[in-house]
Amino acid sequence: MTETTWLIAGAWVSAGLTIFLFSFLYKDNPFFKIAEHLYLGAGMGWWFQVYLYNIWKPKVFEPLAGGDFFVLIPALLGLSLVTQFVPKISWISRYGFTFMMGYGAGLEIPARLSTDFMSQIAGTIKPFSLMASMSGFDILNALIVAAGTICVLFYFFFSVEHKGSVKKISNIGIYFLMIYFGAAFGNTVMARFSLLYGRFDDLNTSAAASNFYATQIILAAMAAYFLLHSFLGKKEQAEEAR
Amino acid sequence: MKENLLKFLKIDRRWIFLALAMILFVPIIKPIGLPNKTISKDVQNAFNYLDKVPAGSFVLFSLDYDPSTRPELHPQAVAALRYAFKKNLRVGIVTYIAGSTGLIQQLIEKVPAEAGKVNGTDYVVYPYMANAVAAMTQMASDFYGIYDKDIDGRDARSLPVMKGVRNYKDIPLIVNITGTSILDFWVAYVGDKYNVPVVGGVTAISQPGYGPYLQTGQLKGLIGGMKGAAEFESLVKEPGKGTSGIDALNLAHLMVLLLILTSNIILLVVRYL
Repeated sequence: MTETTWLIAGAWVSAGLTIFLFSFLYKDNPFFKIAEHLYLGAGMGWWFQVYLYNIWKPKVFEPLAGGDFFVLIPALLGLSLVTQFVPKISWISRYGFTFMMGYGAGLEIPARLSTDFMSQIAGTIKPFSLMASMSGFDILNALIVAAGTICVLFYFFFSVEHKGSVKKISNIGIYFLMIYFGAAFGNTVMARFSLLYGRFDDLNTSAAASNFYATQIILAAMAAYFLLHSFLGKKEQAEEAR
Repeated sequence: MKENLLKFLKIDRRWIFLALAMILFVPIIKPIGLPNKTISKDVQNAFNYLDKVPAGSFVLFSLDYDPSTRPELHPQAVAALRYAFKKNLRVGIVTYIAGSTGLIQQLIEKVPAEAGKVNGTDYVVYPYMANAVAAMTQMASDFYGIYDKDIDGRDARSLPVMKGVRNYKDIPLIVNITGTSILDFWVAYVGDKYNVPVVGGVTAISQPGYGPYLQTGQLKGLIGGMKGAAEFESLVKEPGKGTSGIDALNLAHLMVLLLILTSNIILLVVRYL
């Protein structure tokens, strides 16, 4: 097969699978099921080859073949995790997990403390030391950020009963959280539309004459299937009623 | 009247899906050309940081997105890469998402050729690497300890594009375009730790979550979603898929606003009139 033929076949598969998956929005059907199962199967197969060719081959097999036996240590630690599936020897997996936990904690804790904790506290306080050089808008912004941080922290502080002034402050914290959720939801809607636009853009590419009108033909076939299915369904219902 | 209004609220949602599909499809077939007039501060900052990198410097692009976020992130990557080549920067591309490799292939088949750039001399692509944090940590001491060969199996040290590059000290900017939390890793393990400026490109969903990093300057700039891609394309004066998507996004948002407004008005009418 030539490259062009492969590209046309790709357009048909891509358009077909997209339309099959979107067809669920109308109602459940066998084409959706085919696409769903194919996605799962292809995904598993794809990941298997990724692990084999992008991790095991360059990181384990090739160094071993070159005489670098040090890679046996991480490889065996990694393989020890698989013993979880055999209850009698599952204790071996603890060595792998121990290494992962120690390595992960050592790497994560200092970095996260610095980046997500200390820097954020400093970032909230710092503007107040620069007020003389700040514009009115920047000062207001800094005040809102600081007030928001304090109010939300109050909301998540459960060791004091939320009543009186604590309740009022934590209630203001809820409003800050709601504003964040609203912004996040708005952005989520925009993101979903962008993804849908991307699929439609690809469907439009597949609809070209050079791809033998893949989108139109598959869409028409799906519409015909639903019409026929609906017609036969009504016929069956009428026969049952008799 | 109230019964008729309530019927509208119980409309079969498949009609809404159909309307949305038509609204999104129309601008693809016939672009309307709605303008994108606002440039956000974060996108402007991202552009400024890329713009002020001196010509000939080595910029590292970490492209970590797969087909599931392609419509939002691929236009960002195309625009940023085009501008890097336009500025005559040397470009290194790495990825920590296996699904990115095909998209990076698409990118390098097209973008460098437009600017007449040569693989190995002006840019280099490295293979997918598992465990992003381990790779980032290793690169701090020796870039070639983790990337000794490029994607074509060539010795990375001997490539002209890598001349003078040993670790993060030789990299004036990192651009990470991702639909995952890998940008957090770049900020925490590289930006903060080694004082390397990091600029991000993320999906619209994760954009609000990066506000704290932007406020503190830990993240120098941020391109968010397809809207961010359109803004960046405007700044580099290279309209692409981001700009063409703005028509569809604007119309779809208008439809959602109309539906929300209509439903709320109906509810108010039913309850109080």
